Amino acid sequence: MAVITVSQINRYIGSILKSDRNIQGVMVRGEVIDYVKHYRSGHVYFTLKDSESSLKAVMFANAAARLRFEPEDGMSVIVSGSIGVYERDGAYQLYVNDIIPEGAGAAGAALEQLKNKLAKEGIFDTAHKRPIPPMPRKIGAVTSLSGAAVRDIINVLSRRYPLCEVYAVNALVQGEGAADSVCRGILKAEAAGCDVIIVGRGGGSSEDLSAFNTEKVAYVVYNCKVPVISAVGHETDYTIADLAADLRAPTPSAAAELSAPDISSLYEKIGIMERRAERSVLAQFDKASDRFIALNARLTAQSPENRVRLTAERLTGLEKRRETAFARYFERLEHQLSERIARLDSLSPLKVLSRGYSLVYKDDKLLNTSDELDKGDKVRITFGSGGAEAEITDKW
Amino acid sequence: MTKLGKIVAELEKGDIPLEKAVELYGEGVKLSAACRKQLDDAQIKITEDGGEAPSER
Repeated sequence: MAVITVSQINRYIGSILKSDRNIQGVMVRGEVIDYVKHYRSGHVYFTLKDSESSLKAVMFANAAARLRFEPEDGMSVIVSGSIGVYERDGAYQLYVNDIIPEGAGAAGAALEQLKNKLAKEGIFDTAHKRPIPPMPRKIGAVTSLSGAAVRDIINVLSRRYPLCEVYAVNALVQGEGAADSVCRGILKAEAAGCDVIIVGRGGGSSEDLSAFNTEKVAYVVYNCKVPVISAVGHETDYTIADLAADLRAPTPSAAAELSAPDISSLYEKIGIMERRAERSVLAQFDKASDRFIALNARLTAQSPENRVRLTAERLTGLEKRRETAFARYFERLEHQLSERIARLDSLSPLKVLSRGYSLVYKDDKLLNTSDELDKGDKVRITFGSGGAEAEITDKW
Repeated sequence: MTKLGKIVAELEKGDIPLEKAVELYGEGVKLSAACRKQLDDAQIKITEDGGEAPSER
């Protein structure tokens, strides 16, 4: 019997396995364990196992680079590849072409992973979101210039905000190289001095959003020096570009509306400012005029005319007081006089006469005794009213 | 517009002399007229940059 070497036997077994169609181009279901990516070569080594057995697997760098997600230990996958022998160790293993996560589609899993990764890096942090400038001068629109999106954006801005320049950068939004094209478009718009950039795609095109779900686009959006509004036009799922953008709009038209104010609101603002300016100036005038009036009043109070007037007023006052004083004095005198006259009147002999008494005169001399009378004397009698002459016939 | 806002704020502080206020007000009126005119005359400008993706054109 011929003696053969270890290498020969391993090579022989390898050739047998390679020629067995049952184990070439197979799909194997299993759970990934011991997953290792060789950092220098890029080759990937792991073990596939089920409940009973395990199978070594290797994925070379060129195949591994095509993977859209990073397999992890514990992941249920379906691996496609072929069984071969690693001659050095005399071990058979699965040479892997592709790995598909079981359950979710590969793309979905990759997207989830990328989202998680970028989220961890803080790309989606709201703290990084910048406000949209209140009055942008130049608005970038990175999209397909043959699509509806750019027309919508221009229509909205022409109507609402014709103050701006729209800088429309043509970009592939789907298909091969779309992500790179979108990235370059954003950078161009940024370099062109746009104050805000709308990145998106119009409706009506296919649902391929992959360009907006890439790491590169996320980074370019994140690193853009001016705010980015995403308008990918997909209601249900947020793309990575949406999450990284400073603002997300459901459609390009909505993005255009969010990117700038409406001109009518600007007219309104000017009106408000005009009214405010007017009001404050009028208030200043009022204040100044009040101050003037107060000062003027104080000044005129000190004017010579006013002093003369004040003195004259005081004089008039004094005069009036004097007049009243005199008037009262005279009144009092008059009163006293009339009182005295009344008293005098009550003492008047005529008053007595009116009560029935009479006055008797002899030779114009009033008599108060009969001593001076003799028989035959003529006397004059004065009554309260009227008088008479009489002759004395007797006396006692 | 920003300048107009600044002038209004300055006026509303109210601690400036009347002459200065009147002067500012005049400036504000001119500015607001200029702003209105700018809005009235605004004409959107479109610049197309199509170099990057000729296959789309």
